[in-house]
Amino acid sequence: MSEPILDVRATTKSFGGLKAVNNLSFEVYEGEIVSLIGPNGSGKTTTFNVITGLYEPDSGDILFKGESIAGLSPAKVYERGVARTFQMLRLFAAMSVLENVLVGMHGRTRANVLDCMLRTPRMRREEDASIVRAREILEYFPGRFPEVRHAQPASSLSYANRRRLELARALAGEPSLLLLDEPVAGMNPAESLEVMRQIRDLRDRGYTILMIEHDMKVIMGASDRVIAMDHGIKIAEGAPTDVANDPAVVEAYLGRRGADTAS
Amino acid sequence: MTLEHIFGLTVSGLTVGMIYALIALGYTMVYGVLQLINFAHGEVFTIGGYIAASTLIWIGVDATTPLAVKFAYFGLALLVSLVLTATLGFLIERIAYRPLRNRSRIIALLSAIGTSIFLQNLLVIVFGPQPIIMPTAVVPTGFVEIFGARIRVLQITIIVVSLLLMALLTWIVKGTRMGKAMRATSQDREAAEMMGIETNLTISFTFVVGSALAAIGGFLVAMYYGSLQFNTGFLYGLKAFTAAVLGGIGNIPGAVVGSLVLGLAENWGVGLNLGVLAWLFVGGLLLGLYFQLVRAPRFRIDHIAEEFRTPAYERRVRDVYRFAPVVALKTLFAERTDALLYVSAQHAVRLTAANVILLGLAVLFFVNGDVQFASKWQHVISFAVLMAILMFRPSGILGEHIQEKV
Repeated sequence: MSEPILDVRATTKSFGGLKAVNNLSFEVYEGEIVSLIGPNGSGKTTTFNVITGLYEPDSGDILFKGESIAGLSPAKVYERGVARTFQMLRLFAAMSVLENVLVGMHGRTRANVLDCMLRTPRMRREEDASIVRAREILEYFPGRFPEVRHAQPASSLSYANRRRLELARALAGEPSLLLLDEPVAGMNPAESLEVMRQIRDLRDRGYTILMIEHDMKVIMGASDRVIAMDHGIKIAEGAPTDVANDPAVVEAYLGRRGADTAS
Repeated sequence: MTLEHIFGLTVSGLTVGMIYALIALGYTMVYGVLQLINFAHGEVFTIGGYIAASTLIWIGVDATTPLAVKFAYFGLALLVSLVLTATLGFLIERIAYRPLRNRSRIIALLSAIGTSIFLQNLLVIVFGPQPIIMPTAVVPTGFVEIFGARIRVLQITIIVVSLLLMALLTWIVKGTRMGKAMRATSQDREAAEMMGIETNLTISFTFVVGSALAAIGGFLVAMYYGSLQFNTGFLYGLKAFTAAVLGGIGNIPGAVVGSLVLGLAENWGVGLNLGVLAWLFVGGLLLGLYFQLVRAPRFRIDHIAEEFRTPAYERRVRDVYRFAPVVALKTLFAERTDALLYVSAQHAVRLTAANVILLGLAVLFFVNGDVQFASKWQHVISFAVLMAILMFRPSGILGEHIQEKV
């Protein structure tokens, strides 16, 4: 296979005595949808935080497109092309829908205060282009963000639309790798199905996706590969059905006795 | 108590209020992005004024200097003060706050107080404990007569300059890319950083802008009162901080509103006799009655689900507010009732109590109409106003900056 787009190498991150991520290694290849699963507290979100630069790994390395991104600031990692959504939504509530998407483009625009003050042509071109692009991205969710909603604050949106907006904001940075933290959390079955289709569609558009998910339907339906974690360690990796039936995974979720009953 | 007198006091109040606002904006912006009270900000203000004044003294401007040259010197002093003070603001954040960013909030607060003491002593060491005198040659001395009151040209200048600066700031925050980064950072710093915003740069920018505004404030105060002392910034900083809390800390328009209320309270409180001040309480009473009889019941009724919104029920809600405390007491103690009516009854009793207090104060002030507060009561009065407003609205007049995450 070709060079992986994301290569996590023997990464460890501990908090006090607790190794939240312990000697974790995995690769994600371009055009793949990989799911990260595991019981609560198994280190999935910490893995995301380490990849996106929020935490610096204690040891090990993280390569993105062949270059190390371990220890870079989150803003720098984002500029390299890694964007994420959050498990608990973290939109800018007081900003408008359109502005939230524009914030996602922040790293790509260059106008400084002086440019804005003098309204230089460069800055105006850039601003117009950003707004056009932001509208395009919102169009990706047909019917969800009609023109009238663009100026409304993000806090006025419904829960599902907030999740969509968060995805739109992540797409605004033109990332090549998308990290989705529980994209269907709190959604009803119909909405989950829509998100699943969207995730596959995003892959077809050239994005590579690494997601944390609990919903087995979404995991089975969307992912090419599944990585299971428990206590910060990778316990299984492979095709969705294989991992779901792996005794170690069943044990991690159900405990030893539960695993015996299940088998 | 003539109208000219009242108008003159109002202009003085607005002038002082605008200066408070220039300082308060720095407090509130920093609080917005860092949730930190930058107690060194008052000293930044003093240093801004000191630098401007000492630049003018060093150039040696006097009454014989031609007007155009005076303007040039004035602009130069402003520029020097802006650049140096903005740099100071940048350094304060870089040295005193950034290394402590992820420690507990109280540690950054101690660092802020330490920085404030350090800067005050630095001023004493460099300029000595005696006040620095602003060269009078650059201060506009003219008067204009408006509504029969003699208003200093300088006062008008201060008000106009402050308004322009506030408009500029609003535009920076609302209309520029950097402003967008500031707003995003203040709402969720981590998320902003993960969306490609260099939050460190944004925070530095906030300190630079806040310090520049404070520097202009310092320059204006030095011109208005003719001198500055090393500890002038302490009281001004405290007042401006109070004003920011009064308007709602972290809220930019709130800082301006809070400052104007504080400035006016200080000037009206000691400048007017009680007979005139009573009218303020009458105004407050009218506002209170409007709240009790119109706005509060409408707000409650809007929160009833459609299917329960019968005319009879609406009338009951209105009655609770109208005949509080009678109905309210009945609702509270005698009847079994639903949660909405119970909460409304409590609210109605609070509003009635506030209105009774306002009425009592209005009557008390009218009866002693000729008495006037001595000017030494100035600060007492302004803090009494502050406490009274915060008691009824703890989040400040326009509400606090909310750390809302959706």
